[in-house]
Order: sequence, then C-alpha cells, then structure tokens
Amino acid sequence: MKTTLTPEGASTDILGIANLPVLWVLAIGVFGAIIVQSLVYMKAAKKAGPAADISAAELKDSFRAGAVAAIGPSLAVVLVSIALLTLFGTPAVLVRIGLVGSAATESASASLAAGTMGAALGGPDYTQAVFVVAFMAMSLSGAGWMLATLILTPILTRGDSKLRRVNPALMMIVPAAALIGAFASLGVAEFGKTPVHIISILVSAATMFVCLLLAKAMSASWLREWGLGISILVGLAVAYIAHTSGMAPAA
Amino acid sequence: MSSRTAAATSGSIAEFDRTTTRWGRITMITALILSLAAPVYLVFSTDLGITGSMIWAAYLAVAAAFFVLWFVEPITYFPVLGPAAMYQAFMIGNIANKLLPSALVAQATIGAKAGTKRGEFSALMAICGAAMVHVFSMLLFVGVLGTYLVSIIPADVVDVARLYIFPSIIGAVLVQLIVTVRQPRVTVIAFAVALLVLFVLVPAVPALAKPATGIVVLLTATLAWFLRSRKDAAAPTTLVN
Repeated sequence: MKTTLTPEGASTDILGIANLPVLWVLAIGVFGAIIVQSLVYMKAAKKAGPAADISAAELKDSFRAGAVAAIGPSLAVVLVSIALLTLFGTPAVLVRIGLVGSAATESASASLAAGTMGAALGGPDYTQAVFVVAFMAMSLSGAGWMLATLILTPILTRGDSKLRRVNPALMMIVPAAALIGAFASLGVAEFGKTPVHIISILVSAATMFVCLLLAKAMSASWLREWGLGISILVGLAVAYIAHTSGMAPAA
Repeated sequence: MSSRTAAATSGSIAEFDRTTTRWGRITMITALILSLAAPVYLVFSTDLGITGSMIWAAYLAVAAAFFVLWFVEPITYFPVLGPAAMYQAFMIGNIANKLLPSALVAQATIGAKAGTKRGEFSALMAICGAAMVHVFSMLLFVGVLGTYLVSIIPADVVDVARLYIFPSIIGAVLVQLIVTVRQPRVTVIAFAVALLVLFVLVPAVPALAKPATGIVVLLTATLAWFLRSRKDAAAPTTLVN
C-alpha cells in the first residue's frame, strides 16, 4: 500500500502541512459556529425568560456560574491539548481535542488509523500521508457523534418511546464493554512495542491511579480533572529519561 | 419530559424551542462541514498519494471501535440536556467533566430544579458561559501560547514527546475508565479478549491486524452481555466525550 505514496507523502514534516493557513481558517470557523450558537441561544432565552419563570438577572447569574465552573476543566483540556500539538498541529488539536471530541477518543482514532497504514502514531514512520489519513479518520469519527445527535435529537424530542424502551441492562453493559474493549485493545497493543513504550504506559497508568486515590482521599475533585494532563507529563518525562539513557532501539 | 410538552403550549416557549432547534441544527451542521473540510482539503490539495482505499481502511477501523458510542452517548445525555443543549454539548465536547458540572452549579446558584423550564434555561445559559470560557482559553492558551511554546521547545524533546505521547495518554485513560465504569467483570473480559486477539489471533492470521480493535470491541461486548451477572444492578456508565 505504501508503494502508492509519493516522496512528499513520505515526509515526516507533519507541522509543515498541519499548520497550513486554510486549516486555521476552517478551525476558527468551527469556533465561530459555537459563538454564534451561544449568542442566538442567549437571545432566545432572554426573550422567553418570563414564560419560563426565570428573570434576566437569574439568566445572567447562570451564565456567570457556568463560566466560572468551566475555568478549571477548560485549563485541564488546554494542558492535554498542548501536549498533542506536535502530533497533530494546532488547527487539528483546536477542533478535535479542544472541541468536538476528547483527547482519549481522538488519539485513539488517530492511532487506529495510523495502524491501518502500517505506522505508529508519532513514530519514525509517522509521515505526512499517515497524518492526513489519521486526521481524516478522527474527523469522520467525530462526525459520527454529530450525525447521531442531528438524527436522534428530533426523534427523542418527539418522545419516541421505542428508543427509551431499549433494555436497560443492555444500555449499561454494551457501551461500557465497547469503551473498555477499544481502549484495552489499544493499551495492550503498546506492550508489543519498545521497552520505552511499555514504561510510558505503566508510568502514565500509575500516575493516574495515584491522582484518583489522592482525589478521593482529600476529596479534591480538581485532581480528577487534571489527572490526564499530569499523567501525560509524568509519562513523557520518564519516557524522555528512558529514551535518552539508551533504552530505545535506534530509530 | 412532561413539563416540556406542557410548557410548549406557552407561545414564547414554543418560539424558543423553534429558534434553538433551527439555529442549533444550522450551527452544528456548519461545524460538521467545516471540521470535515480540513482533512478533505489536505487530501486534495497535497500530492501525498493518498488513495480512497487507505481512507476506507482507516475509517472502518475507527468505526468498528466507536460506532456503538456514536448512538449511545446522545441517547444517554438527552434526558439531562434537553433538545437545545444537545446541539451545544456534542459540538463543544467534554460533556461529563465540564458541561454537566457547570449546568448543575448554575441551577444551584439560582435555586432552579432540574426538569423544570427554569432549570432548563439555567443549564442552557451555564453551557453558554462554559462555551465562552472554553473557546477563549483554547484560542489563547493553545492557539497562540501553545503554538509558540512548541516552537521554542528543543527539537529532540519534541521528537521524543511525539514518540511516546500515545502510550502516555492511553495508560491514564484506561485507569480512569476502569475506575469510573466500575464493572470488573467487563474489564477482565476486555483485557483477556485483547490479549488473545493481539498476541494469539493476529500473529496467526496477520490479515486481521487492521480490524483487530474492532474485533476486540465486538467480542468484548458480546461476551460481556452473555457472561453478565444476572443479579447486580448495573451502575450508570461513564462516557468519553
């Protein structure tokens, strides 16, 4: 399959194409859509406020409360996003990790897509072509969630009870199994790579475990939010030490 | 749900529902098109030799892993969010860890109960507030500062970070999932299936390497269903977005 790739496609200068101006414009367009939506919603809420028994002051208080509550979680997402910039470039990170998806789903999608090209995410074979295919797969996967929302919301609003009558046990077990199955598979696959990959995944897992324990022991919920960012940084720091001390095979 | 149908008889609320539905859908479809346009642009504007079959193979691998969640998440969140906020939530993302807490805090601040129109409006405003904070911090701290930061970090550090970022994410995500989902039986089944598929099945039948994660997902879901404990009341599932 790799034989069809042009010499340009085999270049590993990801940021050379990942930060193209057109991509910036499209990313900012997605942010624009969210801003327009919020403005329209706020105007509509203000207009219908009296009918909903809520005053203009209470609407404003709700806005402010929501904004303040979002500061911590937003900054936690910022930290994770910055860590992923070298992999996907800024526009893709802004849209995929910052907005529509999450670090977990998007990097999983990218890794799966890279795998179908016979490459590993961020490895020596992570070329421009692999990046573009991974970006395409992330975007199509995110489109799955948005399309499902666009299709299901009107149906659920009409109160179609068929969807609600889905066996509750099925709704509990199958999503959990699909979720853990997908990530367990990706995690186990890392153990087939270099010793430094194995160290990274173990250190990251242990760090998250400690964060969750501390969060519970000290009832510090911020540690739960920041856990992923902290685990990534600790994982990468240990990986750097292990890599530079010669544990990785020469690439 | 009954409060929503009852309140819809008020003219102004009906207008609110119409406006938010129309604009919610328009803005979401716009975001969907723009977000797909970026990779499509790269495929067609660059001469990298990417073929349709490469994209199909990647899409099938991703879809096999996630298609169950595409449908389950909207159905799960609908009763909490209501129709208007659905179009916000699945565009802004980070629903469980950011949007829902924001909505709850706002409702508590003004003493509005969830399930009432007051509660729905309060939640909607809170999500607008959360969206503005998030949009601003992403553009400033990631778009401007992050891009600058990456440009000054030494190249060898960037290379190593790129090499090991994925295992550094996946380890933490797995632990978080296992702890929050709290379904030990499902977890054990998932790891057993993953080990069998990746280290026994794939080496024996190399053609299965590409759909391997999809196979693990389907086998885990099927086994988890047939091997489920019949007496436990299942705990609510925590989702990824």
